[in-house]
Amino acid sequence: MSYVQFKRIKVLIASFVSATVAIAVVYNNIILALAGVFIGILFLFLVRKTTKTVLVDERIENISGKAARLSYAILTITLAVLSLLFITIGRKAVPPQAQLETLGITFSYITLLSLALYSLSYKYLSKRYGESDDE
Amino acid sequence: MENRTTNKIKVFRAMRDMTQEELADKVGVTRQTILAIEKNKYVPSLELAFRIARAFGERIENVFQYRK
Repeated sequence: MSYVQFKRIKVLIASFVSATVAIAVVYNNIILALAGVFIGILFLFLVRKTTKTVLVDERIENISGKAARLSYAILTITLAVLSLLFITIGRKAVPPQAQLETLGITFSYITLLSLALYSLSYKYLSKRYGESDDE
Repeated sequence: MENRTTNKIKVFRAMRDMTQEELADKVGVTRQTILAIEKNKYVPSLELAFRIARAFGERIENVFQYRK
């Protein structure tokens, strides 16, 4: 199977999963949604396993890394700004909007969690790829 | 950062009548990666550079150049 064929199959699987989830949402059926996602993941796994062509190489990993870093930066900054805004607006509003403030606090915790996760994974990967205290 | 690395992959491929797909299979990357390297849009790792040079039976400095 060529890379192009694999990409086509990936699009088909994604369409199948989105259609199943959409139908499940319409009929309010969580089992159908879970089954659709599970079948999609399983099928993608099998296709990946059977294909002999190289699907991921250093350039793709490089791009994925950059995209992940960019997404992380955008998401973290957005969440931090939103949390500050929500907390401030929630406290200053007359009468005070407790729900907005709670949402702001939740966002700030998510931001902190994401920063902690980044730091931990950075430390782990840095050690794995050769950082050492030795000269 | 400006890319100062150039290469002669296209020339060596043409000399050996080799397609991008064949070279990609030989060195274990996707065809898109070979295309990006040929167009100087992606600088390969040292390991991949060695693999490409070896696929042509050439020394690495004959395939890749670094200009100051």
